[in-house]
Amino acid sequence: MSQRTERRGIHVDQSDLLCKKGCGYYGNAAWQGLCSKCWREEYQRVRQKQIQDDWALAEKLQREEEAAYASSHGVQTQSHAQSTPPHPGHASLGPFSKFEEKKTNEKTRKVTTVKKFFSPSSRSAPKKETQEGKTTSPSISRHASFETDQVSRDFVDFLKNLQKPGREIHKQCRAFIVNMSSKKDLSAEELSECVQDFYQGMADRLMSHFKGSSDSVEQVMDQVEKYIMTRLYKSVFCPETTDDEKKDLATQNRIRALHWVTIQMLCVSMDEEIPEVSENVVKAITDIIEMDSKRVPRDKLACITRCSKHIFSAIRITKNEPASADDFLPALIYIVLKANPPRLQSNIQYITRFCNPSRLMTGEDGYYFTNLCCAAAFIEKLDAQSLNLSPEEFERYMSGQASPRLNSSEGDWAQTGSALSVTATNPVLAQLNHNLELLSGLSSKQEKLMEAAQSLQADLLSWPESVEREVHDILEKYPLEILSCTVSAIDANNVDNDNLPPPLTPQVFAG
Amino acid sequence: MGENLPRVPGGAQLHSDTLHGPVRTLRVKMVILGSSGVGKSSLALRFVRDEFKNPSPTVGCAYLTRVVHLSDVTLRFEIWDTAGQEKYHSVTPLYYRGAHAALVVYDISKRETFVRAQVWLKELEKQYIPGSTVMCLVGNKGDLDQERQISVQEGQALASDRSLFFTETSVLSGDQISELLLGIAHRVYECIGGQQGGLSEWKETPLIDLHHRDTFTPFASCCKVGP
Repeated sequence: MSQRTERRGIHVDQSDLLCKKGCGYYGNAAWQGLCSKCWREEYQRVRQKQIQDDWALAEKLQREEEAAYASSHGVQTQSHAQSTPPHPGHASLGPFSKFEEKKTNEKTRKVTTVKKFFSPSSRSAPKKETQEGKTTSPSISRHASFETDQVSRDFVDFLKNLQKPGREIHKQCRAFIVNMSSKKDLSAEELSECVQDFYQGMADRLMSHFKGSSDSVEQVMDQVEKYIMTRLYKSVFCPETTDDEKKDLATQNRIRALHWVTIQMLCVSMDEEIPEVSENVVKAITDIIEMDSKRVPRDKLACITRCSKHIFSAIRITKNEPASADDFLPALIYIVLKANPPRLQSNIQYITRFCNPSRLMTGEDGYYFTNLCCAAAFIEKLDAQSLNLSPEEFERYMSGQASPRLNSSEGDWAQTGSALSVTATNPVLAQLNHNLELLSGLSSKQEKLMEAAQSLQADLLSWPESVEREVHDILEKYPLEILSCTVSAIDANNVDNDNLPPPLTPQVFAG
Repeated sequence: MGENLPRVPGGAQLHSDTLHGPVRTLRVKMVILGSSGVGKSSLALRFVRDEFKNPSPTVGCAYLTRVVHLSDVTLRFEIWDTAGQEKYHSVTPLYYRGAHAALVVYDISKRETFVRAQVWLKELEKQYIPGSTVMCLVGNKGDLDQERQISVQEGQALASDRSLFFTETSVLSGDQISELLLGIAHRVYECIGGQQGGLSEWKETPLIDLHHRDTFTPFASCCKVGP
């Protein structure tokens, strides 16, 4: 029994399958372990909270704005409270403060009406209340990410300069965002239409407000786009209703399968052996990859433009003349193939849907974006002919049976010549070969070193032996003889003793 | 090179002053099509070369701008160069989406470029919305008269068949370049400038804000031209 369970490899406790809320129905991993009913409730609750939080934030911002407005116009009194900058923590508020705020707002309204009777300035009244309201609401930073907060703050700061119309713009934007968050089931095209209609409507209103000063309209529209798209990014980038994700994967795999495409096959006039050129190529690749990390369509476009400028520099350095589109497009294709930018199709779709369309049709950014679209379309359709290869060769490379780089070593194919030149000119391969040579040189040196070390070790080991042996030999050769010690007179050894006159002996003289 | 630009009967003149008068500045997107090697980018460079204030010193000549002053309006041409290699033919429609003017260029000394030009024209006609794009056929390399393979009449006939603007130019000598640009400017203004929202206004924002410089007024925008 237990063996069978083991063979299956899966053992799930009955309780794990049930809804986590304990309602008795089965749950589903896709719904975080909840059953469909509980999940829906939970989802609704979270969404409701999100909407509420959005409102709370919006209200907060609105009040800050009013305060700013009042402080710039409140000529009469209360100069002491004006200079308070918006507290950073106030940017977003939890649901508790929302309740608090509602109360405060009611109070504000009441007090304002009452005050109106007494105060000569109806402007200063709401301002004071706003200041009070601020102190009552706890500053809790919640769901909103840092980035979103930052953008909201920037937006409010920007609108402050516009005074009254600024508030109007803000009101509309936040109403639009709330409106959009309730429309998540719409298709991407419909979402795009909503956003574009909003842009258009906003621009028209701004136009009539600023009496045709398109500078100001443009500036405001940029800010509006930045604010709205940062807030909506998560729900409208690569939405589930589209097959963008599938396309992303397809493109990614396609580019991966095309890893063998060389700069020569695309006829790109960039010489990567020139350090400056390869530096620009690297920068271009970095920029195009960076695009995915931006939220605002305009920032994404800016990445594409920077990437393109680097490519232009690279071509310019290589050819020493300004690059034309004939050079540029192949180079961009090459960069895209090398970079394999994440979520390329989604990004293109996102920009197309939510960028101000005029920016895509005309202008420099629009030109480079169009080129990127061309590059993506070309890569999708790329075939043997577009690389100047025979269909068989193309097939072989695509299926991984052959690689243009390996050709040179195998040497049995017709294209060996070109493949050889590929190896010769490809700086990466050259570098690789160089490194390999260095490595083999190093390893042979190391071997020699090891040999020397070993012989040294052997020497060291044998040295004490030999010393010992030598000592032994010597000891044998010259055995230690201890001569018997003979005691002799001091002059025993004196050879000349015989010649000496006899010692004087005492003589007795008779006398 | 430094030749004085001719006065044109229309009373307009190309000149290089950068002062903004009371006249409006409208944006015109002009696409240059043609096989590679017919001199598209050189033509584009020619268009902008004699302009005094060249916004970007030529790192690339794929995207260039040129301001043309007409009597009552200023047109800011945004010149889009396209890749002419045949293998990119399938993706080029992306370029001329929303273009106000399209120049189809061929080399008078190379028959195949003329054939290709006809393909471009056919392609353009598919996308063509009457009154939205001014098309123009240009026979380039007029200085190679000895090696000419396409006669002026032939080019003219092709153009008048489709009621296009036709001219022969020489990028090398600068012959007919300013006339061509002025001709296009007049036609664009006549055909499209009158339409509501046909051309959008260009406002030069202060140069400090480099990023905003190439952005665009959002009011009279989008999708009103081109498919």
